[in-house]
Amino acid sequence: MTGRHSPFWRQWRWPLGLALLTMFGLMSALLGEGGIWWVLSWIALGFPLFVALRHILRSRRSQAAG
Amino acid sequence: MPASTLRIWVFIHTWTSLVCTVFLLLICLTGLPLIFHEEIDPLVDPPPVYVQLPFDTPHLSLDSLVGRAGGMYPGEVIVSLFKDDDEPQVLVWMAPSFAAIEENPRLEHFIRFDARTGEVIDETKPPEQQRTRFLTLMLRLHVDLFADLAGNLFMGAMGLLFVAALVSGVVLYGPFTRKLDFGVVRGTRAPRTRWLDLHNLLGIVTALWMLVVGATGVLNELASPLFDLWQRTDVRAMLSPWQGQTPPAPNELASVQAVYETATRALPNMHVITVIYPGNPFGSPHHYVLWGHGKTPLAERLFSPVLVDARTGELTAVVQMPWYLRALEISRPLHFGDYGGVPLKIIWALLDLVTIAVLASGLYLWLARHRRASSSGRKHLPGPAATALPEAAE
Repeated sequence: MTGRHSPFWRQWRWPLGLALLTMFGLMSALLGEGGIWWVLSWIALGFPLFVALRHILRSRRSQAAG
Repeated sequence: MPASTLRIWVFIHTWTSLVCTVFLLLICLTGLPLIFHEEIDPLVDPPPVYVQLPFDTPHLSLDSLVGRAGGMYPGEVIVSLFKDDDEPQVLVWMAPSFAAIEENPRLEHFIRFDARTGEVIDETKPPEQQRTRFLTLMLRLHVDLFADLAGNLFMGAMGLLFVAALVSGVVLYGPFTRKLDFGVVRGTRAPRTRWLDLHNLLGIVTALWMLVVGATGVLNELASPLFDLWQRTDVRAMLSPWQGQTPPAPNELASVQAVYETATRALPNMHVITVIYPGNPFGSPHHYVLWGHGKTPLAERLFSPVLVDARTGELTAVVQMPWYLRALEISRPLHFGDYGGVPLKIIWALLDLVTIAVLASGLYLWLARHRRASSSGRKHLPGPAATALPEAAE
């Protein structure tokens, strides 16, 4: 179940990574006082949305191609 | 995961979601405009216009503003004051009597003064002219369905079901996507497969955000019971030495300006913004209760009360807030998304829309499966989504 190439890691690295990023985004705007911490928070919380959008667009493309 | 365990999780996920879905959709839709209430409010209700005066113009004493308010409504009581720390305004809240507002809270009304000139800026409109505003309507539908405490508890319960649906959904994400690459939306398969992939993808990328906003929402629904609990335990214990004593008459009250200064000295690094008058049901019969808040973005959301003796104007105590009210205060920004500028609010709105998509696709999956099961005449296995199992758990 461990190691870089285990099925667990293969399946969960994205969900776990995005969850960590979300946690960071939620906290950085709250604890950091404006400035760069806000920008980091926007990026961290916006990234999961970007990932979802990219996967959806990719599937539509492959659907159109197929 | 053994098939029997999987069935149990599917059962939990299906039914916790189904019960709360309609209410969660309502919560997500009404929450959307509420995210932007700071942007919408000034459009609906233009902010007060202040006369231009030098930046350092001193503020009038609160005593003189309270005196003016008393002159405008002789025979009424002062309920509370709000001294804004951003703008030069003081709101004086009044009512016919404290007993009257316990009967009907709408009898409370305010006069807004310019803190520097003492001019009246505006006043509460009389009850017959007050209309329910769009955002108030959204807020009530979001928070309590116009049913006050019962509504809070009901929506809180829906929020708990949502949290249970999220946890079980994450558990199910494992077996349902084991053979797939992350994020794949199989476009060539049946529509149900495509929606399932979409449901899994959108659900898993926003899972933590939904969990945080869901859990903090539940905590917010408990705000008034928690505040009540604090008043009935800690506050009552703190006020017990005064029990049975005669409360001060209005003409015996210490100067509110002096009281305000006492509280400001007791709360260094804080702005004192609210004065709850003696006799107010949210205060003490024998004290002024003043609320201050911190000055940094996080500390601004943490409030601390100070008790000042109503007759002598001397400091009675700086009150420690219990942990559960502190937790509530910290949970608020994490629910509202109002702590990182407009871009954060836009992201909050997008995540809210994704949540709607997750709820709607989940509902579609259940309906589609149901249709398929009934048209093929198959018997239900334990758990309504059981027919979805074979392809996922193969």
